[in-house]
Amino acid sequence: MSISLECKKIKRTGFLPAFLGGSILAGAVPVINMAVRSEMYQTQQGNPIQILLGANWQMMAMLNVLLVVAGSCLLYHTEYADNAMQKMKSLPLRESSVFLDKVILTIFMSLFVLVIEAGTIAFCSYYWFEIGSGFLSELCKNFGYAFLLMLPCVILSLLISEACRNMWVSLGIGVVLIFTATMLPTDNFLLSLFPFATPFQMFAGADTEQVMRYIYSTAAEIVIFGLAQLIFIKIRRSFE
Amino acid sequence: MNFLSLVGVEFKKIRRSKILLILATATIILWLPSIFNANINFEMQAEGISPENNFLIQGFMGMAWFMFPASMVVSTVLLNMTEKSNKGILKMLSLPINIAKLCMAKFVILLTLAAFQILMTVGMYFISAGIASQMQNYNFILHPLFVFKEAGLIFMAAIPMLAFFWLLSVCIQTPIFSIGIGLASIVPSVLMINTKIWFAYPMSYPFFVITAEYGKLASNLTTAQVEFIPWIPVAIGITMICSFISCLCFGQAERR
Repeated sequence: MSISLECKKIKRTGFLPAFLGGSILAGAVPVINMAVRSEMYQTQQGNPIQILLGANWQMMAMLNVLLVVAGSCLLYHTEYADNAMQKMKSLPLRESSVFLDKVILTIFMSLFVLVIEAGTIAFCSYYWFEIGSGFLSELCKNFGYAFLLMLPCVILSLLISEACRNMWVSLGIGVVLIFTATMLPTDNFLLSLFPFATPFQMFAGADTEQVMRYIYSTAAEIVIFGLAQLIFIKIRRSFE
Repeated sequence: MNFLSLVGVEFKKIRRSKILLILATATIILWLPSIFNANINFEMQAEGISPENNFLIQGFMGMAWFMFPASMVVSTVLLNMTEKSNKGILKMLSLPINIAKLCMAKFVILLTLAAFQILMTVGMYFISAGIASQMQNYNFILHPLFVFKEAGLIFMAAIPMLAFFWLLSVCIQTPIFSIGIGLASIVPSVLMINTKIWFAYPMSYPFFVITAEYGKLASNLTTAQVEFIPWIPVAIGITMICSFISCLCFGQAERR
């Protein structure tokens, strides 16, 4: 019931059009890049997904992360702006279940964004390259991995938005963290586990061992942030 | 109420906003990798740039590319939200103040925040260059006049971009759209500086100017140089049009 409540709340906030617009924009990146400089990429050897993601994923991931941060700020802004949060607290609902619903909503929207991006990557591979056998499973693996690595970023940015009552503070922290992620060296495994840096990782071109390490670490991060949220709510309630 | 006292009132409104803390954190994070990787600056023979110049330019490029524009989007959110929460804008509109003046006063605050962030970046540059000099036994600190010249160039080039962000936040009532368009418009600026029509895209100005400076300092590297003739008129035009429209639209939604 509460998920549908969250869906009703976002009705006139522009949340859905923003994710739709963002996904179209991120999806347009490889198409425009190929349309302008197709001969540069067509001569490269290798699998089309790897070439396309190698050329465009940094920018697409950046747009995805920005979208997640802006979206999660908005989700909690609607709660805090007119003290709606106090009304939510008076309902027979757990505060953490409100958080969980928002997480599910954002995860669903990120999945939607990734599906659109996968669609445009498939289109580019079909139009400018040859589609070989096993293309679909390769595409699913790539974007499934991208989806998994986006989850810690979603949870952490929602946690930040929950913690800060003012939208500019949560947006500011989000922007600073994204900036930190772009400054981190990519060769250090521990630093690349930074939740805002993991979405920039690619499945294509990585070896299985590394992929498995990222999957385990991401799962651990999800658990840690989930626990952190529970503890945070308990502590904050005792100070209110 | 004259313009200066309006600006003073606007400053008071953001006094407890913690925005300076956010802007300062960003500048500190900007210079940390430069301190840790200071030895990379000695390996730039291929580009033909001296280590101390490279130290400064790489930091400024990191700032002009993403950190500075994104912090400014956050600042526009702050200026907008302080007014909108608790219907402060209605009280301001009921006062006998020229609306356009109020809008410009807020824009001046945005410019000041931008200048402040650039100044903090310069301050952090001197601190981090000092630390790097100690660590590497090499003098990384450049002449302050040169550093301030580069910083001033970034600030001047950023004014049309700030006017555009201000236009977005004034005219688009739904916060996520103004934020989303603002943040999303920063990402393609890396591509835009390589095209011939870079001067039509205000978000790429600060990064373009600093890359042009990089090309000047590195003897073996040619980057596109600033051509004043299409750029300056276009930049002034963009600034004028954006400020004019934002003055017209300011408070429009509340006055209906």
